[in-house]
Order: sequence, then structure tokens, then C-alpha cells
Amino acid sequence: MYYKLAFRNVRKSLRDYLLYFLTLTFAVCIFYVFNSIEAQEVMLKISTSEKEILKTLTQFIDYISVFVSVILGFLIVSANHFLIRRRKKELGIYLLLGMKKSRVSRILVIETLFIGAISLGAGLLTGIFLSQWMSIFTAKIFEADMTAYQFVFSMSAFLKTLIYFGLIFVVVIMASTFAVSRNKLIDLFSAQNKNEKPAVRHPVFTVILFILSIACLGVAYQQVLKYGIKDFDYKLLREIILGAVGTFLFFASLSGFFLKLLQRFKGIYYKDLNFFILRQINSRINSAHISISFVCLMLFCTIGILSTGLGMNRAMENSVTAAAAFDVEMYTPGGSTMSISDDLASKGIALSDYTQKSYEYADYTNPSILGTEILTSDVYDKLKKEYFMGGREDPVPFIRLSDYNTLLGMKGKPSLVLKEGQIAFSYSAAAQGFRDVVQEKWNRTGRISLLGKEYAVYPKMLSESVVSIGADSSLAIIVPDSFLIDSTGKVTDGFAAYGSYLQFNCTGDSKTAQDKLEKRVESFYGEDASSVEYFVVTRNVMQASYAGTKAIIAYVGIYIGLVFLLTSAAVLSLQQLSEISDNRRRYLVLKKIGADDRLIDRTILRQTAIYFLLPLLLAVIHSIVGLRVANDAIRSLGGINAAQNILITAALILVIYGAYFLATFMGSRQMIVREERNE
Amino acid sequence: MESDNYEEDIKMSNMLTVTHVEKYYGNKGNLTKALDGVSFSVQEGEFVGIMGASGSGKTTLLNCISTIDKVTSGQIVIGGRDITEMKSRQLSEFRRKQLGFIFQDFNLLDTLTAQENIILPLTISAVNHREALSRTSEVAQTLGITDVLLKYPYQMSGGERQRVAAARAIVSKPAMVLADEPTGALDSKSSRILLESMEKLNTELSATILMVTHDAFAASYCKRILFIKDGQLFNELIRGQKTRREFYAKIIEVISLLGGDVSHVL
Repeated sequence: MYYKLAFRNVRKSLRDYLLYFLTLTFAVCIFYVFNSIEAQEVMLKISTSEKEILKTLTQFIDYISVFVSVILGFLIVSANHFLIRRRKKELGIYLLLGMKKSRVSRILVIETLFIGAISLGAGLLTGIFLSQWMSIFTAKIFEADMTAYQFVFSMSAFLKTLIYFGLIFVVVIMASTFAVSRNKLIDLFSAQNKNEKPAVRHPVFTVILFILSIACLGVAYQQVLKYGIKDFDYKLLREIILGAVGTFLFFASLSGFFLKLLQRFKGIYYKDLNFFILRQINSRINSAHISISFVCLMLFCTIGILSTGLGMNRAMENSVTAAAAFDVEMYTPGGSTMSISDDLASKGIALSDYTQKSYEYADYTNPSILGTEILTSDVYDKLKKEYFMGGREDPVPFIRLSDYNTLLGMKGKPSLVLKEGQIAFSYSAAAQGFRDVVQEKWNRTGRISLLGKEYAVYPKMLSESVVSIGADSSLAIIVPDSFLIDSTGKVTDGFAAYGSYLQFNCTGDSKTAQDKLEKRVESFYGEDASSVEYFVVTRNVMQASYAGTKAIIAYVGIYIGLVFLLTSAAVLSLQQLSEISDNRRRYLVLKKIGADDRLIDRTILRQTAIYFLLPLLLAVIHSIVGLRVANDAIRSLGGINAAQNILITAALILVIYGAYFLATFMGSRQMIVREERNE
Repeated sequence: MESDNYEEDIKMSNMLTVTHVEKYYGNKGNLTKALDGVSFSVQEGEFVGIMGASGSGKTTLLNCISTIDKVTSGQIVIGGRDITEMKSRQLSEFRRKQLGFIFQDFNLLDTLTAQENIILPLTISAVNHREALSRTSEVAQTLGITDVLLKYPYQMSGGERQRVAAARAIVSKPAMVLADEPTGALDSKSSRILLESMEKLNTELSATILMVTHDAFAASYCKRILFIKDGQLFNELIRGQKTRREFYAKIIEVISLLGGDVSHVL
């Protein structure tokens, strides 16, 4: 009998449960998809180092999932609490008819389990379906090819979802049992008609608060635009605190301020039921403004995190392809004269097993020629504002033209030709914007003085990467051979060899070859990196580390962003629904006085829209400022296509937020229409 | 101007005509006749009371007249329009424009000031705000609630609240005001003030009022009282030239005839 009653209840209050169900399903789906990332490995052709990264990523997701499940747990418990409150009268009737409290609880437990089972099922199904698509995204991030389609299913994620949400449901069941046992019968019945005192604040106070909030926000915006966010220091903290305080004050004073403002425009104030809506919002704002402010800040984070996360599959794209100049690069620092290839041969590693052509060379530095000097201080300072400039105060490496051309040749690129008295700058790792600034400077002067001699600058800054490690990856100067070494082999005074490099591309299946070589070298030197006399960097490792950073930022960002988005929308929705539910009487009075359904609909629509749009609007304004600053910071990492990411973010927000908005509107309407029928 | 024409029309036409109205609940096997062939009419500018015990059908009658409920058979004509023939959207508009309501539990909105509560029906009917505001203060003056216009319901006394509710009922100049036990939640002093206000509305503004009550004291303010029992009209009392006290005594007499309901009155 209890089962029957529970099923009937669920079916009867399906509309009430719709939002609850929606939230649960979304939550389960997101949870599964992100925890199943490791299982997508089967569809990707990735190296061992990338597999390692994928493991690290999974660990990250593990930790975050705990945090996420706490947030979702709170959300689900409060959603359930709302549902129970709505049904106080019904539960009261059970008690009045003599049903024991434990029995009533049992009905609720069955209902919770029933809803839980359905939403877990639905969420897992959509999750499994979506995770198939997710592997395309993963492949893009790792720049990996995909194998033939395989069904991706992660048993561990499946079980984890079951366990975590199982726990959440246990908490929900305990909470609702507690709610039933604590309630007195009289409270269950008299919960309906409470005439509450509206909290009225003094108008002058409200206006002062509002002005204060605008001032706080203005200062925060101005400060953050001025100083940027590159340095995590007390300034940034101050900006964040100012922004948060401004947001809270804004929502605390907004409705009161608008009320006063619109009362001056009687035509608008008394049009439709505008004054009713304003009063309605104003009467709730004391309790609501805190959660609305949180929602606003959360949405701001969502926009920032999501667009960054989504942008990661494109960020550093230049860097990865440009940075990995060759499949394998080996490097000895500090002017060692050791030949890397000889050393490898002596250890029984024949390069010919891996490649047909390799090349070993050295670069040179002069301690008196520093990066700051070459760039000149004005350009350097200008760049420093926007880009990370670490290591650019060091001596600038010089590369012989013949070495440079040989490397170009190995990459299948045309040779560089320098005229008499001409030198060239190479700046392969820098972002395009960075190069433009420097290029512009040299275009202006066209000449540079080195050790008291004038040289013409090759008109185009070279961007082709010939080496990924050591200092050369940033600024390097390509000079005629005779500049560094004379015909007898003597190094020019003041210069010294800085490092030796051995570069080659593997033949055949490069990824496997790289993995094999790495293993061989490792077996000689063991895991202890300090014993390695030269560094080995393979394209695999480079790609894995870039892709790893990208993947971690991307997945963690999207994961948290989606959860925040879901939470914000659900919190707003719950708030609006409980408001309508608590103040149903007011809408019914409006109907009795003669407001027709269309007017009531319009009123609810406007009210819901204000609740949903206000926090979003302020969050968008925050984000415009925030993303502007963030873009400047990120540009030094290789530029993000901001517009596109923001569009995708906006679309995501529109879908999830929009779904909640619609469900809330329909739920509110339903509550009033149905309630009237019952009277 | 408007009110002049209004006054001329009074006493000539029937504001409300109820013709052989029946309202049945239940099914063939178990039929309850809530209203069993009720017929009467109310003239423009009249103040009519409907009295009866619980379950006598008086609330059903009021619900049918106020377009909230539908009759099973019969006809209700208000201001020349047959409301039993109307569709739901027409009804909503009719309710808005032709009828004013005073409820037992005031039904004021606690988030709004008195002024905003009173103006509500005008806003709903999209009346220009200047006209709406001036009408509001007019009505407030008539009912002596100008002082409380900027107060919220929780800052007012029960009597003031009910007068604000009365002001809201008549601000849109409805053809008829329907009052459902308006003194039900008031103490005797507040009741008196409210009833005097309603009397004033009736005499000064010529408002047609139909009041359902089972309180003989409240009923004694009416000009005519219809008694209803078991869904049928049972008796009719006309105040005529009687003082209120004499009329009250008459009412008590009829109630004792109705039988078994004295406890309700006292």
C-alpha cells in the first residue's frame, strides 16, 4: 500500500518533481562524464607519457569530485526540503488520519528512492551517451588521432556515481525523515496563511547603499583594468574583495532603489502589475539578496572558468607545434664539449636505429650581451606589462647561420640567406603579438649595434623553431659563421659555447620509436635525473606536458563551470518557486479581483525573468572586465580565440539556464492555476 | 458627470435578476440541491442582505452571482447581461469591470500599501494612472481612510483593513458590490464602523450592495433582507421607515422562525 501511495504521489506531483528530476539528472550526467575520462583512452592513439598525464588528470578529477559532490549534495537536499515544505498539508493529513510518523517517513523514503533511481538511470544513460562525444574533445586537446569507434564505458565512473549519489540520497532520506519527525501537526496545517511583515528599509539608506555598491564595483573594475591579474598580490585580493562587497551591496539595495526610482515615474509604476512585482521582490530581498549575490558571483566564475576551459583546446596550439622542433632533442648545458652522439654510441645506442639524419651543434653566448639590451629597455618595459618575461634578462644565445640552415634543411624548410653585415633574430616561442611589438621596433631602426659594430637587421623576425629546449627557444640571434668562429676554429673573444644540441626526427612510427629511446636512455641513467649528463626531450613528452596542462585546465574548468552553472540555476529556481508557493495567496487575490490568466502569466514571467536575469547581467558585466584582463594575461601563452569560447559558453549558459528558467516559469504558473482549482 | 447619469438611472432598472436558479451537486444517485429554484431581483442602488444558516445555500448563491461558480439551471442577469451564458475570458473581464468584492478575511496584499491595494483593480483594468490615483483618494476620503493610505496592512487596525478592502471593492465603480461576511473577522466596534461606511457608500455613492451574512446586527444595516433555507427563499424583510433597532428586532424574530440557528446569531 505504501508503494502504491508513493508512486501515486510522484505521479501526481510530477510537475513539482520536474525540476528536482532535471537537476538530479544533470548532476549525475556531469558527474559520470567527467569521471569517465580515463576510459576514453581506448579510442585515442596516445603515447605512454600522455597516458601518464591522463592518470594525473583523473586524479585531479577525483579530488574535485569530492568537492562537487558536496555542492550537489547540498543542492539536492535543499531541493528536497522545498518539496517537503510544499507538501506539508498532505503529510499533515496522513498524520491526522492516524498514520504513524515512521510510516509517513517510509512513504517519503520510497518516493526518494523511486525518483533517485529514475534520475540516476536517466543521468547515467545521458552521461554514457555524452562521454562518447567527449572523446572527440579529448582527442582534440591531446592532438591525438582517434582509433576506430569503440563504445566507451567506464565501470569505475559508473560505480563511483552510484556510490556518491547513493550517499547523497541517504543524506536526503535522513533530512526528510528528520523534517517529518520534527514537525508538529498544527505547524503542518497552519503553514499556509502567515501574514508577514515586509521588511522596509529607509529609502535614503537604500540609495546610499546603492551608490556605495556602484562605487565599490567601479573602483574594483578600474583597479583590475589598471593592474591586471598577472601578479597574485594584495592588489588582486583587494580588487576581489571590493568586487564581491560591491556585488552584495548591489543586490541588497537594488530593488529598494528601483522601487523609489520607479515611484517617481507613476506611469510605469502603475502599469500592469509592475508595482506588485517590485513590492514582491522587495519584500523578499532581505533573505534573497545573499543567495542572488552568490549566484551572481558563481555565474561570473562559470563564465570565466568555462570560457577558459573551452579555450584550452586552442590555446598554446602554436606553442605545441612550434615548440617541438624535432622528434628528439638532446642537450648538454654549460659549455660541455662532450659529443652526445658519441656518448650514446658508447652506451650501445645506435642513432641509426632511430633516424637517418641527425645533427649536433652548439650555441654561444657573450655575458655582456643581454636580452634586455637587445630589446632595449623601452620595448622591454612595454612587453613586460603583457607578457611573462622570465629569463630574458640572460645573455642572448647566438647560432651560426650554417647550423641554423642545416636544421632548417632537416625540417624541409628553405635556407636563410643573410647579406654581408646582416644578422637575424629568431623568436620562435613568442606569441604573434609579442613578435609584432619587437618587429615594429626593428622596422623603425633597422640597425643594431653589437660590441661596438653596426649590423643591419634581417627585415623579418624568424619564427621557425629549430630548437625547443635551452635558452634558444625564446630570443636568439642568427649570425654569419665568421662572427662566432674564424676559419681556424677559434671562438671569437668574449663568446663561449653555451650548450650542445643533438636534434633528429625519428623514422617510421615516431611515437613508438620515441617511447623506445626514452626507455633505453632511462635504463642507463635510472630514474635519478641528476645523474643524466644530458637532457632528452622527445616530442611525445613535450606534447604530453602541453596537452596535460591544457587538459587539466580544460576539464577541471568545464567540470567546475558546469556544476556552478547548474547550481546557480537550480538555486534561483528553488528560490523563485518557494516564493510563489509561499505567496500563492497573493496571486489568488489578484485573480479574484479580476486579473485574468494572461495578466497573471505576464506577472509571473516578468518576476521570474528579473530573478534570473539580474544576477546574470551583473555577472556578464563582471566577466567583460574580467575576460579582458584575463585575455591580456593569457595572450602571452599563445593567444586564445576569446570570441568563439565566449560564444560557446554563452550557448551552454543559455541552454542550462534557459531550461531552468522555463521550468521555473511553468512550475510557478502551474502552482497558481492548480491551487485555484483546489480551493 | 458620470455619477449624475448614474444617479438618474437608479430606482428604475433591476441591477440583478435571479430567475429560478438551481444548483445541484453530486450525481443521480446522491443529489444535493444547494439552490432549489431561487428567484429574486435587486434594484440599482439597493443594499440587500442575504441571511441563512450554514449549509442553507447562501454562499453558493453568492458564488454563482459573483461568477466564481456556475448554475445548473436558471438565469442570472447582472446589469442586463446574462452571466450564465458567458465564456471564461468574458467572465474574467466582467468580474473585473462590473463586480467589486469584499471578503471576510480582507484579502489585502501585505506587501502593498493601502493606496496600492486600492488602486489594484484599476491597474488590472489598465486605467490611466492619473485618473486611478485621483479616484483612489476620492474613495479613501469617503471611507475615512486617507490617513492610512501610505501604511502597510500590518500597520493598520482590523477595521481600517476592512475599509481599505471596501475601498478596493468600489474603486472601479462596479455595478454591484458583493460582500461575503465582511464583519466576520472584526470586533463589534470595527464592525460598526465598516457597516456605517457601507451604508454611506450605498446612500452617498449609490452603490448597489449585496451582502451575505449570518450576523443580525450586520444585516440590520441593509434596506432589504432575503432569508434562505435549504436552497429556497424562505422570507423577505423590508426595512422601510423602521429604525435600525426595530429592524434588528424583526430580523431576530425571523431567525427564530428559521429555527435552530439562534446559536449562530448569538
